[in-house]
Amino acid sequence: MDVFLPIAEVSVNILAIFSLSGIVGILSGLFGVGGGFLMTPFLIFLGVPPTYAVANEANNILATSVSGSTTHYLKDTLDYKMGLMIVVGGIFGTLLGIWIFTYFKGIGKIDIVISLAYMYILAIIGTAMLVEGLGEIDKARKKIITKKKLHVHYWIHGLPLRMRFQKSKLYESAFTPIIIGLIVGFIAAIMGIGGAFILVPAMIYIIGMPTKLIPGTSLFVTIFVSVIVTFLHAFNYGSIDLILVFMLVTGSIIGVQCGQKLGESIDGTRLKTLLAALLLLVGIAIAYDTFFANNTNMEISKIDINDLNPLSIFIKKLSVEMPILYGLFSIVFAVSLGVAAAFIRRFFSNLRKKYLKK
Amino acid sequence: MPDLIKNLPSEIKKNKIKAGIFLGLSAYWGIILIGTLVQFN
Repeated sequence: MDVFLPIAEVSVNILAIFSLSGIVGILSGLFGVGGGFLMTPFLIFLGVPPTYAVANEANNILATSVSGSTTHYLKDTLDYKMGLMIVVGGIFGTLLGIWIFTYFKGIGKIDIVISLAYMYILAIIGTAMLVEGLGEIDKARKKIITKKKLHVHYWIHGLPLRMRFQKSKLYESAFTPIIIGLIVGFIAAIMGIGGAFILVPAMIYIIGMPTKLIPGTSLFVTIFVSVIVTFLHAFNYGSIDLILVFMLVTGSIIGVQCGQKLGESIDGTRLKTLLAALLLLVGIAIAYDTFFANNTNMEISKIDINDLNPLSIFIKKLSVEMPILYGLFSIVFAVSLGVAAAFIRRFFSNLRKKYLKK
Repeated sequence: MPDLIKNLPSEIKKNKIKAGIFLGLSAYWGIILIGTLVQFN
């Protein structure tokens, strides 16, 4: 069952998109990562051009991070001050990333740059996770216990403009979160990911934040970064496809809930090693696709706007004639879906508690 | 160091999985580095 995407101008299988976003959602729920670094390559494999895959996954991440941070807001597990400092760096990083994106798009090399960026990021994270996971399994088997230092000092901690972060109970330079935000924003703009896989380790090992505040603050930062990425992609390239975003958001929100439930009953160390192997496999698939697959020139057939259904015509016209309004609409659309998902989850959670009490 | 080199074959035999993973990762990194150089030349 295929559906035509009016903006990306390709047909995709609805079931494939739903099931893949569901599977990636389950992995996100299991490992506490956004899943963008898996979903964007999957979209590319399904035939969505990389430029569109990056933009639409950023919009999907916006919806899921709004959904997640609404839950953390209700639990009061968010450090706004630290989050806003990271966002300041994130804004500059995103603008820099979009500028680099525009440069490579201009010289016609953007697709290869996105593929290479994925290959290297997946290779670095996959290798690091695999080595760490195997080491942990080895230590557990040999019953070796190693003491870790409470806090390691890096050059970044010696920077000026130190300030107090009451919620995290930290006295740290404002430049530390700003620099981390800059890196996350830059990567998010080029690769269409939330950047949680960089942000979360940086918050734990470099900033030294309390673990309970990390998921909420990370999601809070991701909202702002993905809003900027979504808006700039919609405004500059008109690449947000609301039909694709709707399918992605629905699949991933359901998947995340299932993943969180599954994660409560599965051993984390072995799962981490499995995820590392999966990341490397996706990296190998991208490497094969980029270096060895036959590059057949896909024929771009010009589609007559009158052949589309009324919804597709409306989306296409809005994107071309009013790009600013379309960018804002895609942000509001993702935020509404995210908030609605958070409230639906709360409703079902309350309902379950009510029946369990009985 | 020479001892380590001398013992390497037996160490590889002992840790087949680790040696396999190490070889696999080296091959993967080799392919993407060479592929990148080829793409941009």
